[in-house]
Amino acid sequence: MSPADGTATAEKKKSPRRTEQPAPLGPYSAKLTRDQCLELLEHLYLARYFDVRLIKEKKRGRLRGTLYSSHNQEAVLVGSLYGLLPTDWISPIHRDMPAFFLKDARSGLRNPQRIGMTIQEVCAQVWGKAPSPGRARDNWSHIGSKKNRIIHSTSMLAGTIPAAAGVALADRLNGGNCVVLTYNGEGSTAQGVFHEGINFAAVHKLPVVTLIENNQWAYGTPTELEYSLEDFARRADGYGIPGLIADGQNVFDVYDKVMTAVEHSRSGKGPSIVECKTFRAYGHGDHDDDRAAKYRPTPEVEAGRRRDPIAVCKRILVEHGMLTATQAEEFPAEGKGASEVRDEDFPPDVVAYMKEGVDFAIAAPLPEAAEGGMWVFREGDSR
Amino acid sequence: MSAVAEKVSTKRNMLTALREALDEEMARNPDLLLMGEDIGLLGGAFGVTIGLMEKYGRDRVYDMPISEAAIVGVGVGAALNGKTVCVEMQFIDFISCGFDQIVNMLATYHYRTAGEVEMPVIIRGPAGAYGGGALYHSQMNEAWFAHSPGLKVVCPSTPYDAKGLMKQALRDRNPVLFYEIKELYRLPQIEMELPAEDYTIPFGKASLRREGKDITFVTYGQNVYHCLQAADKLAEHGVEADVIDIRTLVPLDMDSILKSIAKTSRVVVVNEAPKTCGFAGEIVARITDEGFEYLDAPPVRVTRLDTPVPWVKPLESFVLPSVEKIVDAAQKVLKY
Repeated sequence: MSPADGTATAEKKKSPRRTEQPAPLGPYSAKLTRDQCLELLEHLYLARYFDVRLIKEKKRGRLRGTLYSSHNQEAVLVGSLYGLLPTDWISPIHRDMPAFFLKDARSGLRNPQRIGMTIQEVCAQVWGKAPSPGRARDNWSHIGSKKNRIIHSTSMLAGTIPAAAGVALADRLNGGNCVVLTYNGEGSTAQGVFHEGINFAAVHKLPVVTLIENNQWAYGTPTELEYSLEDFARRADGYGIPGLIADGQNVFDVYDKVMTAVEHSRSGKGPSIVECKTFRAYGHGDHDDDRAAKYRPTPEVEAGRRRDPIAVCKRILVEHGMLTATQAEEFPAEGKGASEVRDEDFPPDVVAYMKEGVDFAIAAPLPEAAEGGMWVFREGDSR
Repeated sequence: MSAVAEKVSTKRNMLTALREALDEEMARNPDLLLMGEDIGLLGGAFGVTIGLMEKYGRDRVYDMPISEAAIVGVGVGAALNGKTVCVEMQFIDFISCGFDQIVNMLATYHYRTAGEVEMPVIIRGPAGAYGGGALYHSQMNEAWFAHSPGLKVVCPSTPYDAKGLMKQALRDRNPVLFYEIKELYRLPQIEMELPAEDYTIPFGKASLRREGKDITFVTYGQNVYHCLQAADKLAEHGVEADVIDIRTLVPLDMDSILKSIAKTSRVVVVNEAPKTCGFAGEIVARITDEGFEYLDAPPVRVTRLDTPVPWVKPLESFVLPSVEKIVDAAQKVLKY
């Protein structure tokens, strides 16, 4: 096993001819400082630890509701969020739960001024407790925050793209220069509203970046039954906008492609589509893991899990001299499933940060029952 | 109901009244945007928005692609970011293309954010049958939205009400579905003088359009006029009817309905939507829940048959409520 790439063993066994070339850093990644590069690795650990910790909590029976694992897709979230300004807007969906606390994480995870959610808020939502940003009225990722510039999604996927266009339009009218980044699975690209939203954004050159987390499976349906393109990003041609492709396992490549799209938008040139090619490590939700083992071919799953984004990031950091091989081995979380990985495989501050959220959520009260009947309408005087 | 205007100008039809409401609110609220298909350069398929793009510019009035879901969704996003958005559905029939964005995104936004986000998005559009519009230019689908918590639903029948309710809708802090009866847009018989000064009409206040003591008609939209004509015919036989125009379905003014039924003990509910699960059925259910002891006869509905709205006149008339059908229903209730 390569010390820099904890999952390289399987890769070498399965495809001995393929050796990973040192990935040259893209134009935006090349400008990152060593501390920033290490921060990206820390964010990958945070996203991974959040995921495995919740899976363990669920298995212990301490959580209700379905979990939608972002395992193996963390580079998409981390790399894309790192390219945004604090005042930019995002709209995460079900597999993007870490995005809520990683938004504007560059301003400091525990910085009360940052424009993102705290781990306490996110965990309160997962546990269904009153301090959740939505007071636990809808489940899992269906939260948001006007203050923190996070659009609230529903279960109807691609449904936030028109809202993103509306947010961007209003921001432009208000004299702002925000970019709105929407997260979407490749499955939701077949929705009519996906087309309607991007078309409108393209017509008005709105700063909307549509990120596609192409994890190859829409619940139980493979991509060849979802759309008829080799590269989904080519769909952008139909709107007259750029379509970029990123290696979704490589946090630096995601950062470069999203930054390219973000700067395109920020300079007034309009929307883009960024397709991040990745792979869903487990089932659609934790309820689906056993079935997913049957409807997905084992070789495909093994191949898809082979390039763990933490391992890919570490390898690049080592290649570029920002991490020694010994340092890269210190917290070997990569290549391990939720049942195998231990707290010791993560940096202590990552574990501590999550603990702050979990402890808060467990101690927090449930909402009062009568809140179920509240807030159907905005009461009070008209404007 | 309305205070008669002190300062009178020329008479307005409903379409002009609605345009004045939009114009005045656009001037009052610089954050109010209009979005819809063909509403700018053309001024709308029926002309409700004529002149508004010229007056307020393309940053306030948007000619949208044929994308009802995106039109609503963009409105939701703009409202999330501080705007008030008035969306036109070119025909209210087309609203089904934007249904998910209305019932799941817009209607629930305030609820699911525990009050963090208010959604001042108004969806207005021409509605209703009787004009030979056929299946897809005749619908009254208000029940879909009355059945979706978080939406207010409005349907005026006079130019005065249309203007006052539209101005109220544009100032409300909640999403509003605003049904404009297109057969009433330019109907000369209902033109009226409107107050020169600013006025609004609160939601949830019905209008007693005719006063009687023997039977109550509860209705809205253009069926108000069918009920008034039916009341005239009944008066020839010495029967005097209350005609209640509810004006807003959500919120519903049950107090006015119950007060009338306490007096008449008999009620016919009339609307032009299909009968099954229609809003007429909801009114009847509320009456039996809350006013059963007042009734001397079962409440009766006169609605469209449970059919689509067919095109040519004999077919259309066959399925829709009419003055004759209302009189027949009233006589059965009176004889019970």
